[in-house]
Amino acid sequence: MKKTKNRFTILLGILCVIFTGVSSWYTIVFNDSRFIVPMDLSRYTFRVKDIPMIVSGIFIFMYIVYLVVLFIQVVAENKYKKTSSQLTRKVNPKLGFLGLFGFTGFIGFWTYSIDKTIFPFGFFIFFGFFGFFYEGKLSGTFMDERYKENKMKAYFSTNKTTLTIIFIATIILGQGRLMGNLEYTFIAYIIIVSLALALELFLSEFLLYHYDNDLQIDESEE
Amino acid sequence: MPGFECRLKKYRQLKGLTQEQLAAQTGVRRETIMRLEKASYNPSLKLAVDISRVVGVPIEEIFIFK
Repeated sequence: MKKTKNRFTILLGILCVIFTGVSSWYTIVFNDSRFIVPMDLSRYTFRVKDIPMIVSGIFIFMYIVYLVVLFIQVVAENKYKKTSSQLTRKVNPKLGFLGLFGFTGFIGFWTYSIDKTIFPFGFFIFFGFFGFFYEGKLSGTFMDERYKENKMKAYFSTNKTTLTIIFIATIILGQGRLMGNLEYTFIAYIIIVSLALALELFLSEFLLYHYDNDLQIDESEE
Repeated sequence: MPGFECRLKKYRQLKGLTQEQLAAQTGVRRETIMRLEKASYNPSLKLAVDISRVVGVPIEEIFIFK
């Protein structure tokens, strides 16, 4: 059923592209490229030759609406599945190695020296993926009341830590006097915020794991 | 550490239940029952009531707050 739906969606998309291509060719060859070259729509007067472009425009619009509806349906279904499930999601702890991508943040120093591009500093946030090591260890765990309580506790501590770091960084760097250069200040701010967010991603999973395994309890039934 | 004494282990054994069975009947993990028995976890009122019903002993006899 799902496969048929996917094929139908792809087929509709292909039909839309083909129809738009044909109507564009038609309007370029026979209709002075109307609707392709910029035109003043306030002075628009209808021509019969406009019909293919108008119809293809309607098709594209309907297809976009269809995709949006489909997207909302998928999101709603996933949300329902998530709330109805009592187990934590399955995550492979090896995904934690994705945290190594955090080192790509250092590319920012290179790009800044070449053309002043600073967005790669944001890649430091990928260090947060190290949290998958701990999320993976707890994957498939039954979420009972103690787990939920620990989760809230972990998220609360993490948020408090992260917000404190960002607040202090904002206060200090907000002076804009780092090495007497405003650009350096901004770069330092991006790096600190990225690292703080990475810390949030990592620390929440780390603390949850440790709260959940806080005691070395005798596993025997006795 | 929650400041109370927990006699759950005694009543559970009297009832002939394993930690796993009690956990299944009260909708929690075995680890939670273990921590309860060590008095290192303060349960919600609902869990306390569920445990009391399963072992057939009043709450105040299982969890003793000093």
